[in-house]
Amino acid sequence: MSGIDDDPLLRRALEELRRLPATDPEAVRRVVGVAAEARVSPADEPVADRSSSGARSMRRWTAVSVAAAAAIVGFVARGVWLPGAGPVRTENVASPSVAAAAPMVKASAGGAIVALPQQFVLENSAAHRISVVGDFNKWNAASAPMTRAAEGGLWSTVIPILPGRHVYGFMIDDSLFTLDPRAPKARDPDLGTDGSVVIVGRP
Amino acid sequence: MISRAKLGDIDAFTAIVDAYYSRCLRFARAMLLNVDDAEDMVQDTFVRLYRALPRYEERQRFESWLFQILGNCCRTANTAFRRHSAQTVDDAFALERVASPDVTGARLDHEWGDAVRKALADVPEYNREIFLLHYIEEFSYDEIERMTGVKQSALKMRVKRASDFLRARLSQEHG
Repeated sequence: MSGIDDDPLLRRALEELRRLPATDPEAVRRVVGVAAEARVSPADEPVADRSSSGARSMRRWTAVSVAAAAAIVGFVARGVWLPGAGPVRTENVASPSVAAAAPMVKASAGGAIVALPQQFVLENSAAHRISVVGDFNKWNAASAPMTRAAEGGLWSTVIPILPGRHVYGFMIDDSLFTLDPRAPKARDPDLGTDGSVVIVGRP
Repeated sequence: MISRAKLGDIDAFTAIVDAYYSRCLRFARAMLLNVDDAEDMVQDTFVRLYRALPRYEERQRFESWLFQILGNCCRTANTAFRRHSAQTVDDAFALERVASPDVTGARLDHEWGDAVRKALADVPEYNREIFLLHYIEEFSYDEIERMTGVKQSALKMRVKRASDFLRARLSQEHG
């Protein structure tokens, strides 16, 4: 359309513009180092006392409590009882199991910031592994694995998250990113990929 | 390779950066108003990409996704640069902005290269980006439409305008 192939001047210009700069191995190492550092999970940061009873109590969750919490979540979130437990996400769940995990505190120069426990639940009977990935854990699929209930395909986990607006999704079997069907969606202007949105705490 | 990097394999990610670094740098140098920002912008792009890899859907071509992120970073940087820079761009800055990359060659080649880059830098950003994606990075119009959301007819018009501008400018000086 532009007739660029018939134009020797433009062809010569393209040859010039197509010249590749040399790849500096040091620059590559620097980029990889910065990227790797940026992706470190906040789980490695001194958020609260993750080895404390709160974290342990989450790991001790039984399948029954997961299912029960999910049912309570459904009730609390929508004010109705929804049998069959579809994917559910809530804020600041107040079930006894979750309450044991919170509140967590992160020290900061300006004072303590309290991370609030946030429960995520997803129904998927075919998956072998599901994790919650989001800006709160730097999209690290290893950071927040979900636990499957003993029966059925209900997956759940609780993560302490700092107050604010967060974008997240679920990583299924380490390969399929999926949104939370019950959460609002947000377009990421940088990455062009949708994410689910959760608001933690009160603005 | 991408699947491994998606799971956090740093060696796989290193191989990806190594494979695409020079192409990204070439694109950033041609896109940015401040060419000195090019390396930082490429770094920022790979940081964002690595962080977002878990969300990468493999039905989308990886290169398209990478250049989509890079294009967004460059446009954002240009907006910030315009906002914070002086009202006018003096000649010294313009020359610096279009300086040749580290390629070897005779002085005449450098002059030609600088003339091409200077002319390209004067192409409006929205035409320049599409021109670069199509003619330099060799994306098809189908792919660019998916990357940008702009219809193919508009994309072709932008490329034509950029080509016409370059032809006119270079004809004046080197025709």
